[in-house]
Amino acid sequence: MARGTSAGFDRHITIFSPEGRLYQVEYAFKAINQEGLTSVACKGEDTAVCVTQKKVPDKLLDASTVTHMYQLTPNLGCVMTGMQGDSRYQVLVAQHEANNFRYRHRYDMPINDLCRRMADINQVYTQNAEMRPLGCSMILIGYDDELGPCVYKTDPAGYYCGHRACSAGVKQTEANSFLEKKFRKKTNYGKDETIQLAITCLMTVLSADFKPNEVEVAVVSKDDPKFRTMTESEIDTHLTAIAERD
Amino acid sequence: MATERYSFSLTTFSPSGKLVQIEYALAAVAAGAPAVGIKAKDGVVLATEKKHKSILVEEHSIIKVEVVTDHIGMVYSGMGPDYRVLVKQARKVAQQYSRMYQEPIPTTQLVQRLAAIMQEYTQSGGVRPFGVSLLICGWDADRPYLFQCDPSGAYFPWKATAMGKNFINGKTFLEKRYTEDLELDDAVHTAILTLKESFEGQMSGDNIEVGVCSSKGFRRLTPAEVQDYLANIA
Repeated sequence: MARGTSAGFDRHITIFSPEGRLYQVEYAFKAINQEGLTSVACKGEDTAVCVTQKKVPDKLLDASTVTHMYQLTPNLGCVMTGMQGDSRYQVLVAQHEANNFRYRHRYDMPINDLCRRMADINQVYTQNAEMRPLGCSMILIGYDDELGPCVYKTDPAGYYCGHRACSAGVKQTEANSFLEKKFRKKTNYGKDETIQLAITCLMTVLSADFKPNEVEVAVVSKDDPKFRTMTESEIDTHLTAIAERD
Repeated sequence: MATERYSFSLTTFSPSGKLVQIEYALAAVAAGAPAVGIKAKDGVVLATEKKHKSILVEEHSIIKVEVVTDHIGMVYSGMGPDYRVLVKQARKVAQQYSRMYQEPIPTTQLVQRLAAIMQEYTQSGGVRPFGVSLLICGWDADRPYLFQCDPSGAYFPWKATAMGKNFINGKTFLEKRYTEDLELDDAVHTAILTLKESFEGQMSGDNIEVGVCSSKGFRRLTPAEVQDYLANIA
């Protein structure tokens, strides 16, 4: 077995380590937690939802400009978790890809195709030494007319797949355990149930009660397939419903 | 998007004459999910484990046994994202061949071209080798083919082989079970048994994938068909 490293650069650029690992990719995953936020997404019978924390660290900041939810096509959107600069760049590329597809093929890019394309782009950064992987994870939600509600996630390693529910960020592990418990029992949640499940998950793992301006929620559903972020009053309605349920 | 490439290769010789990046890439392959390929008299079978880390993942959103052309299929062990790149390249290469020569690409040609691509990444500037080994199966000229492509760009024709975790046990198992006059059905059966050797938990149509290639072409078995084969194992 070769001793030592490949001149010690396996931690600095994306080349293999002696065990066959890519350290730069693993570090990119850690970078997702830098911001200290968590996002959750899940889907029910006819609805897909994504939720993320909205932390405005400075009172002088214009809160209406702080967002992690982005629309990619009319019926498809994403929530970004991780380094903000990298997130914005990845969204720009995704919007470009989706638009290009629409121009060339005359129909909106399906969610699984867009996710696969973003994942393939992420893979290039893990194989070329001159570019580092991006420190952000993209969770896409959309209502596909063939596949129904969809939640897809891609990460810095270039891996992607479809989920019934998933999470990203600091409390990812706890959120996934919470979601696994819920989805083991039932998977066909109704629209309001799905939204409240996502919000409850975030509240539970962060041990916090949210005010409507501390959380962002985006939803797509069968009767309203346009990707849109909810207004504060809509979020308030759901928060009240959750509080009353308990 | 990209930019100034490194003008030098990162895969360089060690004093003992080894290309360590390739060795490390093979380590990445050996850590991957098991994949098995068996050549029968009348066809070839490919099979792989497709375990997901969580019940939240949609089992059928990801496909591992991929169709390259009507008569060629492939599967891998190692890093999924790298595999997707090679599937894309394989499909493109096959299309370019059939456009130029107006006939389906022979399996040997596809394997040679794909292996050349993999070799490029061991010698070009600023890139690392692919962290996958591929199993490519095909049917042309009235006979079955099974090839393995390694990260180094080397390729090997096999009668039967296993890759990924526990591949040594898998190969030993196959050495005992393989006969020259295996039929396709038996080969599928044997492939599933080989996977079972290293499988933790209960196998089902949702956590393994099987593809078969014969004179009728290459296709992936549906989860229901896989379940039928599993039911026939004790």
